Parts: sequence; structure tokens; C-alpha cells
Amino acid sequence: MQQVKKKRKGANTSLVFNNKMYFFLIPALAMFLIFWIYPVLQLFYYSVTDFNGVNYNFNFVGMKNYIKVLGNGTLTNSMKNTLIYAVVTVVLSNVIGLAVAMILNTKIHFKGLFRTCAYFPALFSAIVVGFIWSYVYMPSSGMIASLITAFGGDGSLFNPLGNHHAALYAIALVEVWKAFGTTMIIYLAGLQTVDESLLEAGRIDGCTEWDLISKIKIPLISSTITINVILAVISGLKAFDYSFIMTNGGPGKATKTLMFQVYQTAFNDMKMGRASAFSVLAFTFIIVITVLMLLFMNKREVEL
Amino acid sequence: MAFGKRKDDREVATYMKLSPKTVLLYVVIIIFCVIVISPLVIVFSSSLRTPGNQTSPLNLFIEFSAQSYIQAFTSMNYPMQLLNSVMTTGGSVIMIIIFATMAAYPIGRIKTKTAKFLYYFFISGLIIPSQMVIVPIAQTLSRLGIPNTRFTPMIMFITCSLPFSVFLFSGFMKGVPIEIEESAYIDGASLLKRFTTVVFPLLQPAIVSCVITQGLWIWNDYFYPMVFISRKVQYSLPVGMLQFLGDKENPAQWNVLFAACVLCALPLIVLFLALQKQFVNGIAAGAVKG
Repeated sequence: MQQVKKKRKGANTSLVFNNKMYFFLIPALAMFLIFWIYPVLQLFYYSVTDFNGVNYNFNFVGMKNYIKVLGNGTLTNSMKNTLIYAVVTVVLSNVIGLAVAMILNTKIHFKGLFRTCAYFPALFSAIVVGFIWSYVYMPSSGMIASLITAFGGDGSLFNPLGNHHAALYAIALVEVWKAFGTTMIIYLAGLQTVDESLLEAGRIDGCTEWDLISKIKIPLISSTITINVILAVISGLKAFDYSFIMTNGGPGKATKTLMFQVYQTAFNDMKMGRASAFSVLAFTFIIVITVLMLLFMNKREVEL
Repeated sequence: MAFGKRKDDREVATYMKLSPKTVLLYVVIIIFCVIVISPLVIVFSSSLRTPGNQTSPLNLFIEFSAQSYIQAFTSMNYPMQLLNSVMTTGGSVIMIIIFATMAAYPIGRIKTKTAKFLYYFFISGLIIPSQMVIVPIAQTLSRLGIPNTRFTPMIMFITCSLPFSVFLFSGFMKGVPIEIEESAYIDGASLLKRFTTVVFPLLQPAIVSCVITQGLWIWNDYFYPMVFISRKVQYSLPVGMLQFLGDKENPAQWNVLFAACVLCALPLIVLFLALQKQFVNGIAAGAVKG
């Protein structure tokens, strides 16, 4: 009996957990394949046609769409914008989220109130956030501009969304405002797992507060950092909302991200073939960045 | 014992004593919170003005009137949109929990290469952006004869949520001891019975986490409803906000726009303030355990 049980444990499936369990997968797998994987595969097919999204009598055009997308510079522009947006949001939402979590993890009063304040923006829909920040950033009568005027400056000169260089950073900051609260809550949970006795030992050994943070706390929450960074990179590469709601890709093409460009090509220009070719290339880009990041994070976590 | 006492003393001391470092900490966190919250305070104060009041919104709480709210309420058709939001979010979340826990059951329990492959297959769906696949999805739906109603976005909410939810539940599944199931098996429980009576109830913390993270996202999403719904009566709250898109740069419309913003966010704010603990734990559990 003992031996049989041992054998069962070693086997891949057991009497209790057998292949019949795979039936449970059917509903989820069916939905996933039909509405998520199959549409992705269709993109490859559409990318070599001149399909406009409505008329099914489309022609095959070979690599024309790819040549067009690569040739006219829209891809490199939106890749660059997406990368900048992703880097700004990933770095700032993690740094701010971690810093606030560290402060809230000390013994201060009104912890709950501060946490609620910091998390509050995460409750709002991107569209509401876009409206609110359109007001905040507006020249002359917007919030920041009025504050500048109130302190004796010239508020009408403040126009981040109308500035080629500033617009992308301005909408990335909006994303940081909305996202850092969630990051903070995850860090707070991670920090609470850090054993107080280790910090105590560090203090006895004469560590400064900064030593405690950099040599004990951060290494111990490295898996939390990994998950937060991965989640932020994935959502950063999907950047779409604030280009769509606040700037409409402008000024010029300064805030056109990959997904905004795809949306515009497919829905405004009615060029589904070209949008598909663009999507295929954008998707390749996203996969490469995600894989590179996963490799980097894994290596880092092992080192720590 | 002596050690414990000393520690308590220290705790009391750090709570009470206002060293320069503690003061600095308070100043930093208070300034930070004020900066974060100030746009929301201004929005709230403006929404309480009459629609015609065009003085600078920075003059906080100078007028208290419900007129902007009444105007926003009627132009949004608020009760209808609220009902649509509740139905789509509620329906989607229930289906997600059923489908994702079912899918996570074999993935979390069977230790073969196939199960591992399926796990990564589902997770890989996380990196696909909706904007990219929206046109092929629309065509798949129309080829399957699924009409555009208020329930069409639900199909996409459920599908899009599967990668994260399957990841979450299969992570939790590892924490559910297999011994309980083995004894249920010996007692003659069928596979379905084991799942519904033994495994599913033990997944409760993960279910809370799934309801909160996915519910928050679905409630706030405007993209799928925007693409799939064309009739205004079927709009959910966020997509209904799109009608104000032209008003955001027109200071004359701000008071009504901001009232609409508050109305749109109100249900979640109330829910969050009432269930703060569950929100915080749910968000953290989703990321830490998964």
C-alpha cells in the first residue's frame, strides 16, 4: 500500500487528479480561443490585404502594408512614444508607490486616511481622469495655470498638452497619478511580510535608516517589486486612454502611442489592412520588450 | 519577556515623541496627499455650483447648488446608465469567477507539461492590447450572429479577464491542501462535487480579490462599450461620459461636466468607503499570492 501511494505521488497525474479534470477547462478555453487568440491570428491574414473593415471584397496586396508602415515613420514614432510613456509610468509609479508605502509602514497616525487619499485616484474611470486632468493642464483658466497666475506668474504660457516636448510626459504623469495608489497597496502588503526582528538586528548592528531600506527591506520584497514592475510595463505598453481622451494624439503626432495609432488607422482612416500590419509589428515589439524585461527581472531577483 | 517589554516601550516612544524626522515625515506625506487630492477637491467644489457660475474653480466651495447635478443627471440618463453598468459588471464578474475557477482547477492540480503549457498559454493573453484585436473581434462576433446589445461587451470583459483570473486562481489553488480532496475522493465524491463543495469554498479569498480587481476594471472600462454599443439607452456610465468629450476645454461647461464626473465615480466611491478593508486586501492578495 505504502509503495503504491509513493508511486502515485511520483506520477504526473494521480487517481484523484486525473485527466478528466480537463473538462473544466472547456468554457474558458473556448472563449479564450474564439475571442482572443483567433482574432490575433486573423490580424496576420488581414495584414496582407487592403481590407477596409467593412467591405469583404478585398484584395491581396502582399507586403505593401508592411512597406508602407515601415516607410512612413509612423511605427518608429509611436514605438518611441510608447517606450517613453512606459518608462516614465513604470519608474514613477513604482518609486512613488514604494516611497509612500514605506512612509505608511512606519508608526504614524492617520495611516488609513493617507492610504485612502493615495489610493483614491485609482477608483476613477480613465475617461473621468482624462476630463479632470484636461482641466488641470488647461492654459490660462486651468488649475495649474491659475495657480501660476495667483503667485504672480503668467498662467497663459503654461500649456503642457500643446507643447510637442511636454505633452507625452504630461499624459504619462496622469497615468502615474491614477496608478501609483494600486502599486502602493501592493508594496504595503509586501513590506508587512518583512520580519521586524531582522530590522531590529540591523538596528543593533548600527545600520542607518537608509541601510535598513536598501539592504534589508528592498531585497526582501524583491518579488513584490518584480510583480509591480511587470504589471506596470504591461499596462504601459498598452498606452491608449489619455492620448485618446486628452490630446487626440497631438500636438502633431507627439502623443501617438502604438495602440492609438492602430485605433486611428482602423477606425478613422478605415484602413484595416494597414492597421493589421501595424498591429503585427507592434505586437512583435511588445513581445520582445516583455521577454527582455522578464529575463532581466528574473536575473535580478536571483542576484538579490 | 524583558525583550518584549523593551520593544513596547520603544513603540510608545516613537508614537509619542515628535522628533524632527517624524515631523518631516508628516510634512512630506501631508503635502503629497494634498497635491494628489487637490484636483478632486476642486472638481467636487465646482460641481456644487450653478451651471452659469464661471468664476475660477480655485475659489473653493463658494456656492452650494444641486443644479449642475440635476442637469448632468438628466442629460446622462443616469438611472439607466447606472443600471446598465451594474448589470454588465455584475454579470461579467459572476461568469469570470465560474469560468476562471473551473479552468484553474486542472491547471493548478495536474502536474503535467500540458497543464503547464495551458497555464502559460492563458497568461500570455495578458500582453495583448484590446485596441489591436478589436476589428477581428467585431467580425468574429458578427459572423457568429451575436448582435450588438448592452450585453455584447460582457463577452469581451469575460475573455479579457481570463488571463489574470486564471493566473490568480491557479496560484491560490496550490494553497488548497490536496489531502482534503483526497479524503473527499475516498468518501466517494464525484469530480464535480469535489470542485463545488471542497475546492470552490476554499478559494474564497481569491474570489474576493478577483471580484474587486476585475470589477473595478470592468466598471471603469469604456472601450468595449464604445465600440459595441451604438444606442444611447444601452450605454454604461463611463461610455456615457463620452458625450461630454467636447466640453472638457470649455470652461463654461465645467460645472456640469464635473458634476457628471462625480456622478460617474460615485457608486465606486461609496463602495470603496464602505468596503475599504476588502478593497485593500483584495488588491494586495491578487498581486502577492498570484
